[in-house]
Amino acid sequence: MQIPEDLYYTQEHEWVRMEGRLARVGITDFAQKKLGEVVYLELPEVGKRVRQLSEPKTPDMELGVVESIKAVSVIYSPLSGTVREVNRELASKPELVNSDPYGRGWICVLEPENLEAELRNLLAPPSYAELLRKLER
Amino acid sequence: MTNPYVPNPPSVRAEMLKELGLEDVEKLFSDIPPECRFAGLSFPPKSEPELLRFFGEVLSKNRPVLCFMGGGVWPHHSPPHIRHLTGLPGFRTSYTPYQPELNQGVLQALFEYQSLVAELVGLEVVNASMYDWATAVGEAALMCFRLTRARKFLVPEFMGPERYSTLLNYARGPGMEVVRIAQHPRTGQLDLGALEAELEGAAGVYLENPSFLGFLETQVEEISSLVHRTGALLVVGVNPISLGLLRPPGDYGADLVVGEGQPLGLPMAFGGLSLGIFACRKELVRQMPGRLIGMTRDAEGRRAFCMVLQTREQHIRRERATSNICTNETLCAIAAAIYLSTLGSRGLRRVAELCASNARYLMRGMESLGLKVLFDAPHFNEFAVSCPLPAGELNRRLLEFGIVGGRPLKGDFPRLGESLLFCTTEAHSKEDLDRLLGALGECVR
Repeated sequence: MQIPEDLYYTQEHEWVRMEGRLARVGITDFAQKKLGEVVYLELPEVGKRVRQLSEPKTPDMELGVVESIKAVSVIYSPLSGTVREVNRELASKPELVNSDPYGRGWICVLEPENLEAELRNLLAPPSYAELLRKLER
Repeated sequence: MTNPYVPNPPSVRAEMLKELGLEDVEKLFSDIPPECRFAGLSFPPKSEPELLRFFGEVLSKNRPVLCFMGGGVWPHHSPPHIRHLTGLPGFRTSYTPYQPELNQGVLQALFEYQSLVAELVGLEVVNASMYDWATAVGEAALMCFRLTRARKFLVPEFMGPERYSTLLNYARGPGMEVVRIAQHPRTGQLDLGALEAELEGAAGVYLENPSFLGFLETQVEEISSLVHRTGALLVVGVNPISLGLLRPPGDYGADLVVGEGQPLGLPMAFGGLSLGIFACRKELVRQMPGRLIGMTRDAEGRRAFCMVLQTREQHIRRERATSNICTNETLCAIAAAIYLSTLGSRGLRRVAELCASNARYLMRGMESLGLKVLFDAPHFNEFAVSCPLPAGELNRRLLEFGIVGGRPLKGDFPRLGESLLFCTTEAHSKEDLDRLLGALGECVR
């Protein structure tokens, strides 16, 4: 199971990579393995505003939906902000989410609104690894 | 453990009630208002021979009638081989027959249904059916909303009343507004100016062709280009038999096609046995409601059929599903597939021609009796005429001649006044048509 050291993670298995003041978002290696073969993604519109994932979950925390041959799962937003870019390549090649979840399988790029405060709510790699150990037990 | 197919014996029921802390099973139903409860039959117990005799006597009071009433369910001929084939236990008694390991026959029959209807309507994808035309229209409106996020749905003034009422129920959930577009009082053609004025912010535009009142919409190309200019979707409702003669809606730009499959070999059965036809363009399939059967290969490379794109559906997508109806009309869809495949394209064309030419014969005949045909337009197999006496009274007199007359229209469309919607099909011979005209002549004299 890959858990790159330079990323932040959520309880719902999204990852965030900071690129200057923008945040690139995807789903983790664990998530893609659990879903199995990804066949379709509903991606957000560029310009959509989202809130950081928290409980209780509401529709304004959703970035989209990832669909595999056996399941459907919501992609939650790891940060509050505005969608600036989405990965158009996934429309014709959804399998990139499986083959390269931290690379070409990225979902979208966000412009965060409240970055410093919200980063504290995300998991660092060791904490995410710990979460996966619990889930796998 | 008790047998799962045999009701629980009293001892087990008593145990269950004890576990639930109830004295009486009736307590479980205490939330249902008494007036909604079934009080039981006031029918003395009878033996089987007595029952058969009783029902035989009741049924013997029926007399054969000649039916000219359509308006939602139509008196087409259902060839006997359909009843025979759909009576095969593998078809008739199967419930949710979707396991590919066990149900290749049913799955293939549904796949054939989808393929035949796709060819008929001119669109790539057809689902395994909805309940009826009305629910298919409701689902179509919701699908337009999901695809466009717009909340306005435009429908023709003379839309089928039951379909309109069902559509309003569906529209309530997402808060959609249903707007009626005027149709020309003499020709029935859609008022394009009125349509254009309402198009801003519309999710979809719904056409019925043939219309509920039987006339055809001739401006389909103009309507299609107007609708698509604003990004709305075009939904066309059809009687599938008419497509034996008319252009498939997919040819003139329909994004979705809905319709009633009952004319495809299903009896009228006091209002249906209905079969909701639902078709869409391939690009829209992710937002389509209902079950879809696909063709694939099994592990050994043999042709096989199974459900596909189930992730749209309730059992997987839960509240995000494309519809909260997971069921369909499998047996009726199989009947329609048998009907279409035994008629073939020439047979279907012949049936459609008979419907249209019979209607023309009746319209001319009624006009020569002094009855007024309400719309000056090409018609398929139904048409509206104004009555010189109250429509209900005219129907009562026709019944004395053993004839079921048309559907009265005034209640649903007050503007049309005392009028009847007559229907004819390939099941009517020239003698039948003349019998109706003769009886009408007597009634209006």
